[in-house]
Amino acid sequence: MSAASPVLSVRDLSKTFGAIKAVDGVSFDVRPGEILGLIGPNGSGKSTLFNCILGQLKPDTGHVEVNGRDVSGRRACDLNKLGVGRTFQQLSVFPQMTVLDNIIVAGQEHRGTMLGRLFGAPDAGLAGEADRMIDFFRLTHLRDQMAGSLSYGQQKLVDAAMAFMAGPSLVLLDEPAGGVNLTMLAGLKERLSTYNREHGTTFVVIEHNMEFVMSLCSRIIVLAEGRVIAEGGPEEIRSNQTVIDAYLGG
Amino acid sequence: MSEFLQVVLSGLATGSIYALAAIGFTLVWQAAQTVNFAQGEFVMLPAFFVLIALHWLGWPLWAALAFGLVISVLVLGYLFKRLIVQPMLPSTGLPLIIATMALSILLKEGAKQFYGAEAQPYPPLFPQTTMSIGGAIVSMQDILNLVVSLAVVVALTLFLNRTRTGRCIQATAQNPQVAEILGVNTRRMVLYTFLINAALAALASMLISPVYLAKFSNGETLGIVAFIAAIVGGFNQIRGALVGGLLIGVLDNLTATYVTASYRAALPLVLLIIIILWRPQGLLGTSEGRQV
Repeated sequence: MSAASPVLSVRDLSKTFGAIKAVDGVSFDVRPGEILGLIGPNGSGKSTLFNCILGQLKPDTGHVEVNGRDVSGRRACDLNKLGVGRTFQQLSVFPQMTVLDNIIVAGQEHRGTMLGRLFGAPDAGLAGEADRMIDFFRLTHLRDQMAGSLSYGQQKLVDAAMAFMAGPSLVLLDEPAGGVNLTMLAGLKERLSTYNREHGTTFVVIEHNMEFVMSLCSRIIVLAEGRVIAEGGPEEIRSNQTVIDAYLGG
Repeated sequence: MSEFLQVVLSGLATGSIYALAAIGFTLVWQAAQTVNFAQGEFVMLPAFFVLIALHWLGWPLWAALAFGLVISVLVLGYLFKRLIVQPMLPSTGLPLIIATMALSILLKEGAKQFYGAEAQPYPPLFPQTTMSIGGAIVSMQDILNLVVSLAVVVALTLFLNRTRTGRCIQATAQNPQVAEILGVNTRRMVLYTFLINAALAALASMLISPVYLAKFSNGETLGIVAFIAAIVGGFNQIRGALVGGLLIGVLDNLTATYVTASYRAALPLVLLIIIILWRPQGLLGTSEGRQV
């Protein structure tokens, strides 16, 4: 794979539910280290697109490549091992585990053998790494609390920390800012930017919070009714009349 | 006092075997979000596997027990999951529950046709002696049944809480979609859960059959008692199923000895009604989520 090869390549992806075409022939590439925004009105097919990329839904047509490998039809757990992480629109922690255990689960599947899973250290040797991730997302004071007892915003941070724990090359973030208060939102954006800068991890971000997505992403793709209707930098998208019409129902 | 202690210890021994079956209910609920109404028959059948190895194959007891365990794990764990649960998992709920009810009838009638309706003698696993504890005369079989059952529950709890595979099973139970995204092979974790359930049922069968003998209808009572034990203790907690099983075993013995033996079968049902009215999530259960 050359340096310019895309981390993620989506080609002609379509998904239909009954008479509704949720995703309609979508194609795009994501470059290494890029933060790509994926926006669009409700029902435009963003989350369906994520689910098709990650093998949680089987697309009707098209294929997906990660780092040059065709991963179409592969299960999500296999994609995780190829370096793809994801956060969810809804809260997605293990509520009856501590924050530390949540983070360890997120990293342990990349470590060890079958015997090690049964007889090896329960923390898979990840406690130090998990603590660093907890510190990075400023969750230190919550380390030993049950994840289900945390506030919505705190659980979103745990979710993000879990997505990064396995050291992915690509992370799909599904509405990371949804339901998060303004103070935490600023912290989350700053953490994501820092992680991207320090590790070169590529992000694809679905988000309705325009301020968040415009300030975080270097390039934005706009979906409407399952199709790509615009693509460009934040300023270009902000002034694009097709995009404005799609959001206003014009 | 010594009689009371004797009754309690004997009740704990029986209750610990109920607990093994009740924990199976809990595990299957966590893994597949369904109630396995064939669980009683899962406890009935392994005794017949052991008898087949003893009488038909002429194997020694230890080999027959190993045979019973392996066949149970294969048939009641692997095949049950692959042939019945997995094809129906996308729908879950009622179809799967009805399928387990049908399986219960199939296993019960199958055992009856294959091995006859009479209770079959089953060899004791432990010495048929007694020992004195605090003045109470207790059978060695009761004591060792209790010790073995509790040791298995402790080992299972340590496995689930202290190993990476156990943590993955927990993660799959609590949030399968996220566990899959994080690289956990959730299908394999669900399979492990079914294999563990089958092994627990086989163990319960081997421990209780020397007392109950091997009979095709054993599953009727065992299934109901274990189901009630799981609900009384808390359907989403292993320790709840353990407490539920022990509680029913002890109360059953106390009622039969000090009140009347006529209504002992009604006791678990009365307990169930009281618990559901007073604490619907069970004695140790939680209302907010699933945990193994």
